[in-house]
Amino acid sequence: MEALDLTNRSRRKLELKPEWANICFACGTCASGCPVTGVDGWDPRKAIRAAVLGLEDELIDARWPWICTMCGRCQYACPQGVEFVSLIRHVRSHRDREKVPGTLHKGVEAALKTGNNFSIPKDDFIFVMEDVAEEFAEEEGFSDFKMPLDKKGANILCTVHGKLPFGATDDMKFWWKIFYAAKEDWTIPSENWEGVNWGLFTGDDEAMKTMVGRIVENMEKLEAKNLLFPE
Amino acid sequence: MATRLGLQKWFPDAFKKFGVYTVFDLMIKYIKEGRIKLDKTRHPQLSTYHDPCNYGRKSEMMFGHGYYEEGRWIMDQCTDNWVDAYPNRANQFCCGAGGGAWLTPYNEERVYYGRKKIEQIKATGAKLIVVPCHSCYDQFKKSLRVEYDMQDLEVKYLWAVVADSIVL
Repeated sequence: MEALDLTNRSRRKLELKPEWANICFACGTCASGCPVTGVDGWDPRKAIRAAVLGLEDELIDARWPWICTMCGRCQYACPQGVEFVSLIRHVRSHRDREKVPGTLHKGVEAALKTGNNFSIPKDDFIFVMEDVAEEFAEEEGFSDFKMPLDKKGANILCTVHGKLPFGATDDMKFWWKIFYAAKEDWTIPSENWEGVNWGLFTGDDEAMKTMVGRIVENMEKLEAKNLLFPE
Repeated sequence: MATRLGLQKWFPDAFKKFGVYTVFDLMIKYIKEGRIKLDKTRHPQLSTYHDPCNYGRKSEMMFGHGYYEEGRWIMDQCTDNWVDAYPNRANQFCCGAGGGAWLTPYNEERVYYGRKKIEQIKATGAKLIVVPCHSCYDQFKKSLRVEYDMQDLEVKYLWAVVADSIVL
């Protein structure tokens, strides 16, 4: 390996902000509190040193920034205020989109195209919601429950976690039960209802902005008074 | 958190046009206003509570307020039989599935990550772990309790505990 010339670092792919790494004392507080210190030979301190000292590609290509959950325990404990979470997200953003591990980027693409991470078509979504609502109304005490899709002027607008209509429909009933008991005036949009923003995880600001913008559009279109932040 | 962050960053005017609630704020509002009545006897088993990174530590760092006490207050309204895990709040351990880790192929590492959290839960002796986060829920329910031989551990969303405590 060639010696690094720290006075002339031309290759700065990560465009580091000082608060992301350059102010690190290398004390190791971060590494000692991290549950995945040592996995693949990485730890938070090492990742920061790699980012500062020109081993950017090694960090970007490593599995470790995706095994890290960006939980922020290292950052919380850091005496120097190194913004480790932003750094890792920035590192993730430099991965070729085709090389983003698992289903994360596929979910982002699906969301941009169809409005939700699981590509559930609008008609199917409406069918599922109505169907589960009918099932719910058969439970004791909820006989007059109606699914308030696209209701204008509601007090509360909810998004939906894509995994629920996709494969855990019973888990939607908890909030329905709470709303019913509280006599809340609420609604769910039939389009762009996804509440989960995987752009946050993949470091994709454009996608993240689009998804949040759609929630704002739904709020305006349905003239809802309050947004319930996605769980 | 992504939605709140995105609104602040790209759509700050939205906060002038409509109000926002977190799940905690809304449940607390209903309970305090007497709009929902809860029965504390529905969850008699010893329970514990998990602070999701995003609602706790990261909200504190990013928005200046960590939702630590809200979830605990709601727990208090639903049961008298629950204890905190240690460490908790800002120093809790992540479940291991955050940041999209549930959706990557690195399953072995995700399970290894979760060992710290599982040790915490085991130490409480709790029969029920209550979580206000979808990723933590899947990690506990579908993965960690199987991998660490804790099949008897019940996993519930915080809003499920509230919903199941409602007296109509």
